Amino acid sequence: MAIEIPQSFWLYFIFFALLLVDGLWCMLATRNLVRILIGVEILMKSVTFLLIVAGYFSGRMALAQALVITVIVIEVVVVVVVAGVILGLFREHDSLDVENTREMKG
Amino acid sequence: MSTFLLLVPFLAVVILNLLPKRARVAAFAITFLVLALETAAAFVARFVAVDWSFLAPVERVLGFGLSLDHLGGLLLLCAGIVGMAALLVGRRTLAEASERFMFANLVLVALVGINGIAMVRDLFTLYVFVEVTAVATFILITLRHGGHAFEGAWKYVILSAVASVLMLSSVALLLLSVGGISLDEVKTALATPGTLTWVAIALFLCGLFVKGALVPFHGWLADAYTAAPAPVSVFMAGIVTKASGIFALLRIASSCLGGALPGREILLVVGALSIVVGAFLALGQSNMKRMLAYSSVSQMGYIVLALGGDLRLGIVAAALHFFNHAISKSQLFANAAAIEERLGTLDMDKMGGIAARMPVTAGTTAVATLSIAGLPPLAGFWSKLLIVMALWDAKEYAFAAVAILASLVTLAYFLSLQRRVFFGKTLPEWAAVREAGVGLLVPAVALAAITVVLGIGFPFALRVLLGGGA
Repeated sequence: MAIEIPQSFWLYFIFFALLLVDGLWCMLATRNLVRILIGVEILMKSVTFLLIVAGYFSGRMALAQALVITVIVIEVVVVVVVAGVILGLFREHDSLDVENTREMKG
Repeated sequence: MSTFLLLVPFLAVVILNLLPKRARVAAFAITFLVLALETAAAFVARFVAVDWSFLAPVERVLGFGLSLDHLGGLLLLCAGIVGMAALLVGRRTLAEASERFMFANLVLVALVGINGIAMVRDLFTLYVFVEVTAVATFILITLRHGGHAFEGAWKYVILSAVASVLMLSSVALLLLSVGGISLDEVKTALATPGTLTWVAIALFLCGLFVKGALVPFHGWLADAYTAAPAPVSVFMAGIVTKASGIFALLRIASSCLGGALPGREILLVVGALSIVVGAFLALGQSNMKRMLAYSSVSQMGYIVLALGGDLRLGIVAAALHFFNHAISKSQLFANAAAIEERLGTLDMDKMGGIAARMPVTAGTTAVATLSIAGLPPLAGFWSKLLIVMALWDAKEYAFAAVAILASLVTLAYFLSLQRRVFFGKTLPEWAAVREAGVGLLVPAVALAAITVVLGIGFPFALRVLLGGGA
């Protein structure tokens, strides 16, 4: 079944796109590992927002709610692991510069 | 059955951590047992009718809507075999008890994810289990600090996060355009597709391309494989990347894409690109693990290319190449572990004439490389033949030609590996090298035996593995 998408959806979609671009910019414009992690988080937030909006406009709010809660839980785990990797890199090189992750060649 | 497959590895992790410190040496034995059960489960699902209705109350609580079919059984089989090989390699190469304990734990966690991927029926649950597998793998890569472990893990983590974003936005768009995210609903919607639905499907495929390291998303693979300790690269190359990327693609192609054209075109182009780019990148490597990693990119391209061919035959061919490549590539990484243990290096330019000193390793490597390159009568020949036939049936002659010609490049880089590492006169510095220990030879010989037996008994094996799908 196809669902008619109302005009007002695109308003939300623009906000999602802004958040997405913001997250990408945050990832690409910095050399600091922690800032890249923050950029990834902003990206995930934008997608979480899109999931809520999609649930609302398709009339399946209960499903969307379950999905969003699961996404948040997974996100927490991923952030912990990424922070661990950043910590490891920091201990190894004593700096948070992203250049330290470009040593392998080939 | 499906609940069991998730609960058993999960409970095993709990039990491992309840063990007193002195009893932790048993961790490997317990994990091995779970993996052996997993291998058996693949056959139980196929041949023995068991009444699982007594599990109904548990399944109502855990209601993921999971179910196991032939394709899922194949993944279980691969996971069991490759996992056991990785454990055997880990027994020899992980020196510290704590490292070994963590390795066993994380393999079990990854197994929960892989079993889930084998049984999913909707796209969001697929994402969840892919992420479970990935998180366990991030930690596995950094199991041994130092070297470039964190660098390899970092690249994988960041690209995985991007893949998650792609897959989740696809789920959201599908919710919007289709009204549901189960594979059946998506299939029905694709019968009368709209633009939004196709954009969503393409986004999901891109996410899986990142996870499966297909060109142009292959940047993380070689670094992650090279940075990981030996048993982890066996496990990753054999099953993790394949389950979370390639198997998920197989599942989507078989149960919701149908023969619809835009989807097929994406698979064909990405597959062909991966084959060619991966093969040429492999040709230029001097680190053995890096060459094997790029060869993985190329071979996974074959699997994806098959999915773009004639649907029925393509799925069978892809599933078979999936199995062959899981077996052969994990064996090659086990061989690399044996060489690294004895020689202390993986730089192929420094090796030479090892065959005289390590005959078993040399022999098994030859079997696996020739099988991947597609020489009859080894298992890899049959799956490549089926892939080319699937493409021919779909009238994709150009792509069939790419598949055949790239086979020659595959043969070229593997022969270059053989020549640089094994053939010729033994260099003086390696004159005292001895054959690797039994612990490393057992998995290599066992996996090579599977390749040979499967190749010779191919018609029978095809019927067993896929339930007469051809």
